[in-house]
Amino acid sequence: MAMTYEDTQKSAVPRWQRGVTFARNNAAILLIYLFIFLLIGTGSFFSDRFLTASNLINIMRQSIVLGLLAIGQTAVLLTGGMDISQEMVARLVGLIVATLFAATGSNPMMILPLLLLGTTIGVALGLVNGLLITRTHAVPFIITFGVSFLLRGINLAISTTPIRGIPDAYLTIYDSKIGIVPVNVIVMALVWLIAWFFTTRSRLGRNIYAVGGSERIAKLSAIRVNRTLVWAYVLSSVFAALAGLFLLARTGVGDPNAAQGMTFQAIVAAAVGGISLYGGRGSIFGTLGGVLLLTLLSNFFNLMQINIFYQQLLLGAIVLVAVSAYKSKDLGAL
Amino acid sequence: MTSTAITKKRFNLFSGFRPSPRFVRGVDLAGQWAAPIMILVVMVIAAIVAPAFFNPINLKTVAIQVAVLGVVTIGQTLVLLNRSIDMSVSAVLALGAVIVVQTEGGSSIVSSLVLAIAIAALIGLANGLLVAKRHVPPFVATFGMLVFVGGARLAYTKGQASGTVPDFLRTISIKPIGFIPAALLVWLIVNAIVIFTLRYTRLGRWVYAVGGNPGAARYAGINVDWVLISAHIACSVLAILGGLLLSGYIGYVDLRMGADYNMNSIAAAVVGGTTFTGGRGNMFGTAAGVILLIMLLNLVVVLGLPIHWQYAMQGAVLVLATALQGFRQFLLSR
Repeated sequence: MAMTYEDTQKSAVPRWQRGVTFARNNAAILLIYLFIFLLIGTGSFFSDRFLTASNLINIMRQSIVLGLLAIGQTAVLLTGGMDISQEMVARLVGLIVATLFAATGSNPMMILPLLLLGTTIGVALGLVNGLLITRTHAVPFIITFGVSFLLRGINLAISTTPIRGIPDAYLTIYDSKIGIVPVNVIVMALVWLIAWFFTTRSRLGRNIYAVGGSERIAKLSAIRVNRTLVWAYVLSSVFAALAGLFLLARTGVGDPNAAQGMTFQAIVAAAVGGISLYGGRGSIFGTLGGVLLLTLLSNFFNLMQINIFYQQLLLGAIVLVAVSAYKSKDLGAL
Repeated sequence: MTSTAITKKRFNLFSGFRPSPRFVRGVDLAGQWAAPIMILVVMVIAAIVAPAFFNPINLKTVAIQVAVLGVVTIGQTLVLLNRSIDMSVSAVLALGAVIVVQTEGGSSIVSSLVLAIAIAALIGLANGLLVAKRHVPPFVATFGMLVFVGGARLAYTKGQASGTVPDFLRTISIKPIGFIPAALLVWLIVNAIVIFTLRYTRLGRWVYAVGGNPGAARYAGINVDWVLISAHIACSVLAILGGLLLSGYIGYVDLRMGADYNMNSIAAAVVGGTTFTGGRGNMFGTAAGVILLIMLLNLVVVLGLPIHWQYAMQGAVLVLATALQGFRQFLLSR
């Protein structure tokens, strides 16, 4: 008897078993959204200011910097690498743009050229990282770690004190609203959508997954491995540069301590959301979940007025539990 | 005719790059001898541009710094030889100093020393278990531990600087023995013990076997996981020892103490010829790498340059060394 189209759609596996398989394959993502709902529940139980519209919108706005960094970091993590230089790239871009604003006397006409310049610096630093890693076959996180120290020295050479002189027009990036929803939250939602589209539908996105899964097989499948890797690092640095530009609008000064510790948080957000640290597995929705979870946590800590010293201890404990909870072979998603 | 055309177009991984054996050997030798050669070069340059470097007081400072970093880097090298990495040394180092200084009042120094070493061994054990048993990427596991231990220290000290350093630590660190400070002697003794262990004991040979090829080592009946775990324990304990020497040298314990030791210990080990792919490297190379790095950092001070050039220097050394070692490993393993 010939198979019809309907027959091929009916699997021999019972429905409940397919449900189990789905849950197992997406365990990390399901878990993280479960945790988010639990945290929202606990938060609204302990503080009546937690579950208000203004606080939730505030949380979304707080998550933008970490979100930008985590999207870039996801691209690199999916190739099996890691980009430690993100926070220094963000800081460098912020400092350079702030210096140039101050040098041109806070001229609002300079905003567009300087935004372009900041992004270009991101591209250039990404190329440096990517080319160093692909040409010398060195371990990615050590190369980017070294680059981050280099940039740290350069940052301190530029300024050790906050740089003033950002034009007021630039601050609208952070302030402008439609109704009660800030424009940047809407833009960020679009960026997440584009990132999802990029990772699932675009050729470069699929190539990144292929390279992360197995560099050798990707090469044998005629994927340009080195070019894909360089693209991943460029993406990471560009998103870091965007985060730096956004931070500049948020703080209003070129801060030589901007984005302190954010790289690690971005890696943690992606890892907790099920992006495999060995590359090739995970979904951008997991990263989104990780970013929301970390932002909710810090918001929760602040509302509960937990001492900053204990916050770091708790963050470290959460990270250690999270990374040791998944074993790479056990869960399909990680 | 056709057959030659086919062989010319034969598909080949890394096609287009065929280094001569002489080139490969040259890069290998350069990787092994980079540190000693650069020490001589830097000494000549120092003699020309900064004769103050050879001032006996400055040389004593250099010797103590070499000893502190040297002890920490021995541990880092042991971990790197096993294809792992330890990013938590700086936190462990500072934690040890805090424990000894704060619990010293009243009770004897021995009990607080035992307490510090026991805690270090526990941290090393946790690192090793995460990496070996849970297959967490070493960088992420130990970086999580860095955040956790740093947070624990902050929660314990509430961010305040601690009291006076016990006399015993001053003795093992800066008391002169003949021409050399005691710390240098401690470093030499630790070096001798570790070199003997690596060369002439079963555990030492296992370290190289596991680093060279974990799969083969497992088939040869070596308990791969426990070799890795014991390397992590040794690394944490040596980090504590480094912390004691450092606090004895600077005479107090504060929040920022030892923050650069992650970076410096990895950079020194890699400059000294240890590769990230494990099984290659030895303690003589590491010693040379430590001396080179400390000389460079000290030259920044002696030349009167702004201190942030130290960061740039560390970054540049790490990037160059990693690039060289990565390229060497790539050539040797193809």
